[in-house]
Amino acid sequence: MSKSIVINAKSYAIDVPDDMPLLWFLRDKLELTGTKFGCGMGLCGACTVLLDGQATRSCVMPVSAVAGKSITTIEGLSAKGDHPLQIAWIENKVPQCGYCQAGQIMNAAGFLATNKTPSSDDIDNAMQGNICRCGTYQRIKQAVADAAIVMNEGMYKEVK
Amino acid sequence: MNLFNESTAQLINESRRRFLKQSGVAAGGLVIGVVIPQHAMAKFTQGAEDATFNPNAFIHIAENGDTLIYCGRCEMGQGISTALPAAVADELEADWSRVTVLQADGNEEKFGSQATGGSASIRTMYIPMREAGAAAKEMLIAAAAKVWATSAANCKADNHFVINTLNQQKLSYGELASLAANSPVPAKPVLKTKAQFKYIGKDLARHNQGDIVQGKLTYGVDTKLPGLKYAAITHCPVLGGKLKSCDKSAALKMAGVLDVVEIPRFDIPFGSIGGVAVVADNTWTAQQALKLLKIEWDLGANQSYDTNAYKAMLVKNVENPAEVMVERGDVQKAFTDAAHVVKATYTGGHLSHSPMEPNASVVWVQKDSCEVWAATQSPADIQKVLGQYLKREPKDILVHVTMAGGAFGRKFKCDYVHEATVLSQKVNAPVQLTWSREEDMRTGYYHSINAQHIEASLDKSGNVTGWMHRIAFPPIASLFNPAQGKATKDDVAEIANHPFGIANLRSENGDAPAHTRIGWYRAVYAIFYGFAYGAFADELAHQAKQDTLSFLNKVYDNNKDPKDAEKVRRSKGVLALAAKQANWDKRGALPKNQGLGIAVHYSFNTYVAMAVLVEVNGDDIKVLEVNAAVDCGQVLNLDGATAQMEGAVVMGMSYSLRTEIVFKNGAVVNSNFHQYPVLRINEMPVVKVHFVENDEKATGLGEPGLGPFAPALSNAVFAASGKRYRDLPFTPLAI
Repeated sequence: MSKSIVINAKSYAIDVPDDMPLLWFLRDKLELTGTKFGCGMGLCGACTVLLDGQATRSCVMPVSAVAGKSITTIEGLSAKGDHPLQIAWIENKVPQCGYCQAGQIMNAAGFLATNKTPSSDDIDNAMQGNICRCGTYQRIKQAVADAAIVMNEGMYKEVK
Repeated sequence: MNLFNESTAQLINESRRRFLKQSGVAAGGLVIGVVIPQHAMAKFTQGAEDATFNPNAFIHIAENGDTLIYCGRCEMGQGISTALPAAVADELEADWSRVTVLQADGNEEKFGSQATGGSASIRTMYIPMREAGAAAKEMLIAAAAKVWATSAANCKADNHFVINTLNQQKLSYGELASLAANSPVPAKPVLKTKAQFKYIGKDLARHNQGDIVQGKLTYGVDTKLPGLKYAAITHCPVLGGKLKSCDKSAALKMAGVLDVVEIPRFDIPFGSIGGVAVVADNTWTAQQALKLLKIEWDLGANQSYDTNAYKAMLVKNVENPAEVMVERGDVQKAFTDAAHVVKATYTGGHLSHSPMEPNASVVWVQKDSCEVWAATQSPADIQKVLGQYLKREPKDILVHVTMAGGAFGRKFKCDYVHEATVLSQKVNAPVQLTWSREEDMRTGYYHSINAQHIEASLDKSGNVTGWMHRIAFPPIASLFNPAQGKATKDDVAEIANHPFGIANLRSENGDAPAHTRIGWYRAVYAIFYGFAYGAFADELAHQAKQDTLSFLNKVYDNNKDPKDAEKVRRSKGVLALAAKQANWDKRGALPKNQGLGIAVHYSFNTYVAMAVLVEVNGDDIKVLEVNAAVDCGQVLNLDGATAQMEGAVVMGMSYSLRTEIVFKNGAVVNSNFHQYPVLRINEMPVVKVHFVENDEKATGLGEPGLGPFAPALSNAVFAASGKRYRDLPFTPLAI
């Protein structure tokens, strides 16, 4: 019965009901609160994490279904907050309230892993599952585009 | 001016009066001219104890120079916790990189009014915050002058140091901290000139964005405490209903469930409307157990509320004579003498704030204490409500104000904190209550459903000679007085006070009893007043065969009342700027299916004009570009101000195009974002924001961007397609 899961390179036993979504395992059991609850139906993207590198809505993903898999949350995206997406978010001053931004960044991370040279439409298509009520879309779009360029050229910059 | 503005202004005035009174009698304390009460200062005067310098409640400078600046106002993404502390730092001549901004706990004795709404924070706190910084700087300078045995006039402050201008000696703020605590407090600190600003008016990053992009910033919903229990709740779907019965047996048998608690309606504003909650050892279990409850509600008198029928009634009420509120000149004669009389009716639906962070809070009630962690726009109201509920002094309720994951007016009304309090008391543990998205959408304080009918007369030259404006909407005042079955006099004052120059005017107020909770929603009544004024002006211009921009300028120019001169000048100023930036004069060259619309609205003491460019193909409306022109006097943070306009466009697009809260059988039909389709990134237009440069007083920007957006959009669609949209949203989702 000892199922486990790897989160941000650390292994955890799954000691919760099988149907508990990964979101609540992260938030209430592990107290990793960077991943946010927004809608509970996979409609808003606030809960997005990477599942073996792929952007996944953790609010509708039973934790038992991802046993043995590797999860990356916003807390594990980079060691020092210096992932090109995080840097691009800072440079474009994207966040307002910031609540949706972890999900936006994780979704963009999954997307840019599969599309290294995205067009404007590609970004729209990839990011339209993530709602921002403050209205930071214009900056998100620019930040994703900026990060894509940096990642493609292998450039990394230190966060200030 | 709306109710919210007035009450906020009143709060500030009261607090200022209290401060002035107290500062007159205080002995030995620090007296500086900020709107915070003097007696609260006393405890900060003995900074020497720990060698820190605490000249007032907002500033703390440690021995090593590390500086804390508190933000008394609540932060919900509008950027106030960057804008105000940066203004303090500017006057303090602090090095911004040495400053840490902290969100103040709820304490109006100490920080002045913390009620955050009405776009009032900058308007009311900009000068007091600068004075707080300037006073501290002068105290640091005085301390240094004493060390150097010279006069303060020979010293200047620069980037966390005081410099002796005679010999260039320097002392750091850290070195001066404990000495400055003994400096006399300047009676009237001298403020910097605009040319001397270092941070004010510049592009500043939000102080917390580094934490945000790493998932480190904690919101109300993220609070963790040892022994924390988790709760989920369901409410009576109809306002005024009561619990009839609740079979809890299946829920109580579920592993991890601790209790099922009935929460009765707490009949004061911002108290719970009543519901049933499950407390468990995690949120998921609580949510699942909630589904096992068998609940019967006695739905009460509002169960027939149906927004389709109600809106039709509002339309009928505005298309027939109603109570006359203001009459000036002779409207009837103006209509009789008119070359044309133009009539139009505008409507708008209920809206849910739907911030991305649903209502959530942690409360821990103990025998001698009550501690709250919550995203809130008004910690004092939490203290008031909980004080009343627990029969304790409001000041004994400790409210930790967390970052709010959006609020838009919803989190002014903290029913969710009251509910967590009931639960904590019941299970004798700290409880985190998180509303589901569905509860958030269905148990709101909604933006008012509304209808307006305007009739205006034009003379042969296209001048507006008469204006009859009839409104009907359930008012926010109904929250506090359920008998208030129509808009208040103040709510309707907008019409008589509008700066259009119209000699003959009548405002009328139609019946509109509330059947749900009506609340402040970002921009409040400016949403629909802005829509009606901006869209109707375009209709009049079209009838008068004039270009809308020239027509608007003429209507403003016809206002010769000296007390409106400023409003006329500044309204025309933003119109001209938006028109220029959007190439208004070249709109004739646009492709056939594109159109440019323009509108202007003054609200919350700020002027905004927007020019919206659209492309219309059949029913499909694509917003291509928005040029926003803003006159908010002195801009505090250029980047933050720009972001507020971008956000206004996004929120404006959501409610203009599609979103509406619908009631049937007394209950909200919408359940989650699939039935409340807010704007997504693929529809985001290019937004360009332009500011009028002037030396006017600084005013707020959280709300003023919304008023002009919907009318500019509607006018643009008309220009592109000849189709008028007079109802918000233009194309509601069928649910």
